[in-house]
Amino acid sequence: MVREVAESCVESLLTEIVSQYCNGFYANKPDLAARRIEAIGYQVGHQLSERYTMERPRFSDHLEAIKFICKDFWSELFKKQIDNLKTNHRGTFVLQDNKFRWLSRVSVAPSSENTGSIQDPSAMAESKEAQATGMYLYFPCGIIRGALSNLGIPCAVSADISNLPACSFVIRIKA
Amino acid sequence: MGWWDVADLWYGGFGSVKSGIEEEWDGSWDGKWDEIGLNFVAPRSGDAIFASVERVNSELFTLTYGAIVRQLLTDLEEVEEVNKQLDQMGYNIGVRLVDEFLAKSNVSRCVDFKETTEVIAKVGFKMFLGVTASVTNWDADGTSCSLILEDNPLVDFVELPDTCQGLYYCNIISGVIRGALEMVSMKTEVSWVRDMLRGDDVFELHVKLLKQVPEEYPYKDDE
Amino acid sequence: MIVCVAVVGHQNNPLYIQSFTEADDALKLHHIVHCSLDVVDERVNNPKRSGPTLNETFLGLLYPTENYKVYGYLTNTKVKFILVTTDLDVRDADVRNFFRRFHSAYVDAVSNPFHVPGKKITSRTFAERVSGIVKSFGLSSAG
Repeated sequence: MVREVAESCVESLLTEIVSQYCNGFYANKPDLAARRIEAIGYQVGHQLSERYTMERPRFSDHLEAIKFICKDFWSELFKKQIDNLKTNHRGTFVLQDNKFRWLSRVSVAPSSENTGSIQDPSAMAESKEAQATGMYLYFPCGIIRGALSNLGIPCAVSADISNLPACSFVIRIKA
Repeated sequence: MGWWDVADLWYGGFGSVKSGIEEEWDGSWDGKWDEIGLNFVAPRSGDAIFASVERVNSELFTLTYGAIVRQLLTDLEEVEEVNKQLDQMGYNIGVRLVDEFLAKSNVSRCVDFKETTEVIAKVGFKMFLGVTASVTNWDADGTSCSLILEDNPLVDFVELPDTCQGLYYCNIISGVIRGALEMVSMKTEVSWVRDMLRGDDVFELHVKLLKQVPEEYPYKDDE
Repeated sequence: MIVCVAVVGHQNNPLYIQSFTEADDALKLHHIVHCSLDVVDERVNNPKRSGPTLNETFLGLLYPTENYKVYGYLTNTKVKFILVTTDLDVRDADVRNFFRRFHSAYVDAVSNPFHVPGKKITSRTFAERVSGIVKSFGLSSAG
């Protein structure tokens, strides 16, 4: 049987690391805070890719590994697959999740009356909340980078939330 | 006129209305009916709540926590500082989680320290971590006890290196308990007695009630 | 009987090597493991030769010597597992079963937050699990 915990446990940890690193240790150095949060995600992704690839044949190319991230890996984490995968055939892949769980639950809809209403992205961009959201995203970016680099694919990962509640992860594979 | 007051209903139960009254009154009543409200919503069991909340694969949680601990060790260097930081993070989480806990569990605010710790062990742990704790070692005046945890998803795969022997790896849990209790007006001190990562057979947390602020007067100091 | 098992990183750096013999032949066994790594690389880089086992983690028999049989396994994360046995009549299913359990123990060991990727595996739990798996080798049927 798969061992489970309440989703709010993971969300609580995320909220805390973002707040500790951004408001505590590195209050005036957001880039350092971001790097630490990404590093935590990297370790998690590295370990998870080891676990989730256990019972399967080795990937023969980058695309196969990316597809694995979009399907099996994403399903293990979020109980859904990536909704859209694009590539420029030059080593860049865009993975879009139409309703990224950690955005809808962790930060964009706090306990305020806003729950259920559509957030205005342009207003969001100005707010502090958007900064916090950006910080949260270093964690899943780190997870993806950690997972892929453990599969032998060194890359850089960034996130784009100009289209909330959708979130796109951009993977640039290092040549 | 045959009419009984609310007290009869409570004492006699629904099936034991006196026969004489039944014959005298035909059940009609033109006056106002008031809803008494059978507010018997029982507190839900930990299992029931855990089955109903959104859950995730515990590996993600376990590995995320592990990565946080390791990152904190790198950044703070001193094991003692990491212990403090984990406790603080737990405290913040406990303060936030208490509302979710009360809302989902139907537990009305517990007044009694003893009852509260039982609820934390049986319902709180189950609802969030999917495991239950037990409460033992009550002292004579009922102000301190032990929470025993035999199974703890936080430590799956974890082995402490020799360089981290002073680390209370699960210190976030003691912080959560302290924070949650403080939100229901109980100031406590929570400390580790036994730790499976240090070779003990169970995890044991000692919880000591320092001060209970009466709930009726939460803003007393401000008046 | 299994006489040696090893975990080797993707730069052919040893992460774990353990021999299970009374005799003082650790050096010889280490040499055998070392030589087998080239065979693994060759198999993986020339997949045609491995035929139906294309991209399968289990690489099968790497090479037989006079006294030993050497089997290999390559994870998706490019980590090699090597098994050296003195049994000359080994069932394929037993070897596969061994690697499956060994892989599972390995994955748990590297899930320890204090394990540093690419560094030697020092976990006591891992060592105990491996010795259990080695002892039960060939006892259970295919599974």
